[in-house]
Amino acid sequence: MTDGLDQVKAWIVKRHPDRDDIAPDLDLIENRLIDSLSFVEFVFLLEQVSGRSIDMDTLEVDSIRTLEAIDRTFFKARVS
Amino acid sequence: MPTAALPITDRFQEVLDRLSTKSIEDYYNPYQEFTWPDRLDENRMWMSPELLTPYGTPLFDELGEETLRRLSKWESVNFYSLNVHGIRELLIEVVRRIHMPGFEVPSDFFHHFIGEENEHMWFFAEFCRRYGNKIYPSTAMRADSDWEPEVENFLVFARILFFEELVDHYNTRMAQDETLCDTIRQVNRIHHQDESRHIAFGRELVSLLHTRMRETVGPERLAEVEAYLKRYVVFSLNSLYNPHVYRDAGIPDPLALRNALLEDDRRREIERRSIRKPLAFFLKTGIFSDDVLPAV
Repeated sequence: MTDGLDQVKAWIVKRHPDRDDIAPDLDLIENRLIDSLSFVEFVFLLEQVSGRSIDMDTLEVDSIRTLEAIDRTFFKARVS
Repeated sequence: MPTAALPITDRFQEVLDRLSTKSIEDYYNPYQEFTWPDRLDENRMWMSPELLTPYGTPLFDELGEETLRRLSKWESVNFYSLNVHGIRELLIEVVRRIHMPGFEVPSDFFHHFIGEENEHMWFFAEFCRRYGNKIYPSTAMRADSDWEPEVENFLVFARILFFEELVDHYNTRMAQDETLCDTIRQVNRIHHQDESRHIAFGRELVSLLHTRMRETVGPERLAEVEAYLKRYVVFSLNSLYNPHVYRDAGIPDPLALRNALLEDDRRREIERRSIRKPLAFFLKTGIFSDDVLPAV
């Protein structure tokens, strides 16, 4: 797991003290760990830790649905 | 969504009749009302300094006059963009309810409301496109709504009311600020005039919907509704601290500025002033049991 992903996980856990860990394939939206009101904060956090600008108009919700998907989309080194 | 009829009172009916009449009497053509200059002076402020997000903190002075002027341009474009998206979303919800069971009595006023809000959305979008060459994107995620119909109806109109009252705080101040250019003052003045009707209507409707909701759900659910609405209040306030705006204003570390301002208690005091009226309404009606707002 990357440092960036660790920070993302820590951010979620801090807001949900009832959970001490989050499985990589847990659906963050269905389980209400991210909802419509925390979504924007979450996107800003992803921009900060990944160093990438995110276009909210084109962002696919599935790309942030699980930690696995977030890792794949934002943190895994891309082979060019 | 369809629910029992609203517990209509004589007062509600009187307010509706008065506001509908006023909507007809005050009707204007927004497409002819505004004179849009080709460009606005970049050497003037586009937003009142006390409405800018760093105001009241040491960061305000540290940014310097030139950056503050650029910030006033982009924060104003963000403010009007938030209006565009807020109106777009509230129109979707009102259109879904007009002529549906439970909303028979206010449906006539809904027609005025939808018409006027559509026109507001147009002039805000026009401002953004003409002078900012863009509308900042919506920050909303399509919602996850599994509230009961009575709760969902209450929350839709409570959110609309809060949003309108927050915006009105800004409109009132900018309409009166003689240091701003005529176009900016006019956009804010006209929106304030129409919104005073929508806010008066919203307060009556939200009170009735709250009464109806309390009759159908238990205290635990009511506490969840209150917690959600308080989070919505904070979410709305935070949407003003937009890192994309800070980037456009030439601020080197936009997210650091946002985080610093969100952590600065002096900002919380200023925000309290901007939401004084809706907060007092939520407390008076029992929608909020206290005025404690959650952290981010």
